Amino acid sequence: MSSTRLDDDLKQEIFPVVFLTIVVCVSVIALSIINGITEDKIEEAKQEAIDKMLGEQFPEMDDSEYDDDIEVYTIFANGSVVGYAFMIEATGYGGPIEILVALKNTTLEGDDIILRGISIISHSETPGLGEKIVEASFLEQFEGIGVNDVRLTKDDGGIDAISGATISSSAVVEAVYDHAKEKARDIREKRGV
Amino acid sequence: MKKVFENLKNGLIKSNPVLVLALGLCPTLAVSTSIDNALGMTAAVLFVLISSNIVVSLIRNYTPNRVRIAVFIVIIATLVTIVDLTMQAFLPELSENLGIFIPLIVVNCIILGRAEAFASKNTPLNSTADALGMGMGFGIAIVIISFFRQVLGTGELSVFDREIFQAPGLTDNPMAIFILPMGAFLVIGVLLALLRYTGVIPNE
Repeated sequence: MSSTRLDDDLKQEIFPVVFLTIVVCVSVIALSIINGITEDKIEEAKQEAIDKMLGEQFPEMDDSEYDDDIEVYTIFANGSVVGYAFMIEATGYGGPIEILVALKNTTLEGDDIILRGISIISHSETPGLGEKIVEASFLEQFEGIGVNDVRLTKDDGGIDAISGATISSSAVVEAVYDHAKEKARDIREKRGV
Repeated sequence: MKKVFENLKNGLIKSNPVLVLALGLCPTLAVSTSIDNALGMTAAVLFVLISSNIVVSLIRNYTPNRVRIAVFIVIIATLVTIVDLTMQAFLPELSENLGIFIPLIVVNCIILGRAEAFASKNTPLNSTADALGMGMGFGIAIVIISFFRQVLGTGELSVFDREIFQAPGLTDNPMAIFILPMGAFLVIGVLLALLRYTGVIPNE
């Protein structure tokens, strides 16, 4: 009599644990199956997104190579290097702004760091104001200019700020200015090796 | 059969999760900036809600009372991860737009709420009807809200890259406030007031 009650108590204690364990096991199995199916597809979709992004700056691109150390894409067309691209992050008004910066293939020394252009990958700036950093009229200003000209007009540079969105504009400009020089040095060192 | 239909209808208007129960307001406010996002979110929520209600209902007689919430959450989290991975693989753009709000369906009160309040006490058939009603109720609410926010905030309406119409006068000077979170509160507030005033949603 007492032994059956003990058994019942034990059952009461153990069953929830066993049940939850089974549920978790089923969940793990289901997820690993789904992961197996989608893993390659997700990787493919990511690569496609990167290619599309790079292709906007380098329409002639037929191959790209990513360097993990310095986090720079080297862009090839017809077997020769046509430029470099890398992602940078600026701190905008509404949060981080992700920018892709493309450089021409030059000596990358001193004044010879020339921008091919920039694209905004993601941002959370105010719609109608800071959001205008994605518009061509703002981005076109970066095309083909030397990195030392990447300053706002009020600081004797070549970029007009968007009216009503000075913080967003200068965030982009400053991030490009700072990071482009740094990355150019990294690329130069890498090339020297 | 009549009860099944009753359960389906319940979520649409009388107990609309967003407009009446005020559940799941966080995703409603966050992704109702465009109709595309609203439809994508609705599809994700419908899938998770229906599957979780079915699974919870199937195991309701075996689930120990003490661990039921943990069991529900594991089931919901599994389903949400499935949706998240599938979307990333096959609809990368939509997945990018909805961002963090897909993983956050796990903590969407509508889903855990229906598992606890309905599916754990009813048959799979009735639970499916309930999920369908609640999911569509959520969908209707979020699509209506995003319609007003998109039109007023951007001056045009386009669904999946197909332009439907441009609001004259608004296209050049859109009221950007409606795209901002503030606009979501305004739209949802006015909508609720109107629905109560006209008696579509009965006053309690």
